[in-house]
Amino acid sequence: MDLKWLDAFLISGLFDVAMVMGLALLLHLQLGLGRIANFGVVGFWGIGMYVYGVLYVQVDWPFGDPWQFLVCAAAATLAAGVAGLLIGWLISDLDTDGVLMGTLGFAAVVQILATTQDDLTGGARGMGGLSFPYDIGTVKQNEFLWLAITAAVVVVILLYVWWVHRSPYGRLLIAIGGSEPLARSLGKSTFLTKLGLFTVTSAAMGFLGAMNGVFVHFLDIGTIGVAVTLAAMVGLVLGGTARVWGAVIGVILTVGLFDIVVQSYLPLPREWYTQAIPVLREALFGLALILVLVFRPLGILGDMRRDRLMRKIHGR
Amino acid sequence: MSEAAPSVALEVEGLRSGYHGVTVLKGLDFAVGSEIFAVLGANGAGKTTLLATLARLIPLMAGTIRFQGEDVSALRPYETADRGIGYVPQEKGVFTDLTVLENLNVGGMIGARSRDERMAEVFDLFPDLRALQAQKAGTLSGGESRMVACGRALMQDPRVLLLDEPTAGLSPLYVDMFFEKIREIHETRGVAIVLAEQNATKALQVADRVMVLSLGKAFAVMDATQLTTQQLKEGYRI
Repeated sequence: MDLKWLDAFLISGLFDVAMVMGLALLLHLQLGLGRIANFGVVGFWGIGMYVYGVLYVQVDWPFGDPWQFLVCAAAATLAAGVAGLLIGWLISDLDTDGVLMGTLGFAAVVQILATTQDDLTGGARGMGGLSFPYDIGTVKQNEFLWLAITAAVVVVILLYVWWVHRSPYGRLLIAIGGSEPLARSLGKSTFLTKLGLFTVTSAAMGFLGAMNGVFVHFLDIGTIGVAVTLAAMVGLVLGGTARVWGAVIGVILTVGLFDIVVQSYLPLPREWYTQAIPVLREALFGLALILVLVFRPLGILGDMRRDRLMRKIHGR
Repeated sequence: MSEAAPSVALEVEGLRSGYHGVTVLKGLDFAVGSEIFAVLGANGAGKTTLLATLARLIPLMAGTIRFQGEDVSALRPYETADRGIGYVPQEKGVFTDLTVLENLNVGGMIGARSRDERMAEVFDLFPDLRALQAQKAGTLSGGESRMVACGRALMQDPRVLLLDEPTAGLSPLYVDMFFEKIREIHETRGVAIVLAEQNATKALQVADRVMVLSLGKAFAVMDATQLTTQQLKEGYRI
């Protein structure tokens, strides 16, 4: 396979876009439909990544890849799902402030555990020993295949989100997000509906975390910081929290623009890449979030839809 | 207490409830049969608290609520809805992000009868909604929103419908139409209706019996035709 048009930066950038897009789509279900303000996305993602890494590296499995990958990824997904069930149980009846603080606190706990349990996780030293569950040739070919698999997973998530929007379950979620007190009189448990959503989406975030672990090969506690949640949140809000394609468009315009166009194609000084660029990225994402909330509070797609609707009603 | 007669839809005994430790309803006793039961009272009398308590959206402080003989005091709101108690709040009775059709569909998520059949009945009752099916509920006028809220509750096939001031803030044309519809819902579907209203004159025209609430207590419970203006004034503390 001729991959001359791809360099390591571009593959890494595209993988980042796919990863954040997957997380933003799942966050869309939580925040956009169910109005569950999960600011601890990275916690569930991190659990998936570390459970996968620890099981893959520390356990002496009687079989190799791809079974080793499948078993470890399933366990990582399950662990994130159980965490989602427990956290969801605690936050489902809280108001937005409580959900925000609870999920932020959970993400901090995950990072502290990953740092302090260094016998298992490698702590601040990090943990290596991860690899692709296949070997089809060069490093670039292996990375490209993993990028394609991750993109396929994101497409599956997108199709699931699309289905939810058109299903009675999705309408119930929108109803709960719109007015939970009123939704309680619909004859369905709002608590169990939100808990189910939170559990499933958290599990999927954990699976994406495991996929990230495979790609980066080396687990570093620096990767499970708030930047992951911020990227998913900014992309989603920019595109439109309530729209199916909001997460896709928003992440392309933020992570895609920055991680691919700025980092790969702008002639920036080499020394910027270690210190300045990550800081600049977070600053720009924060600025984008402020600007969107001030000027396009429904996001790009949300505002476009509202404008179309108003024109239709008022004939202007 | 003796077993409730089949014709009795709701029986309330010693009901006390309120918010954050503040008692609003101070011990109510009444029963609602297969009828339109109007709950009248001035602002702050406890009408909205009563309906929200019957829908189990506000916890009981004391007392019991029996629905068709079953004690539903400890049930959750979705369980009472599933039993057959429909609730239309005074405000915010629709899901603004959903279309009219979707609002009706979420109402029809419970119930044994075909959803299409129930939908057709709602459109027969409120023909204006047919043309508004695809419109977001958040863009509707006040009167249209109330129709959707009422239609959503009817999609649940309720045995008892709790209507909290359905005509508050509406134009006189909508007010008349709504009171006609309330009578029609009761007569054609056999649904018992608990109607909280400020508009005593209109409510008494459609109600079979009436309870006048005054500062959280039942000032009078009687046939609607027997309520005198003097009693009403005393109940409203005018």
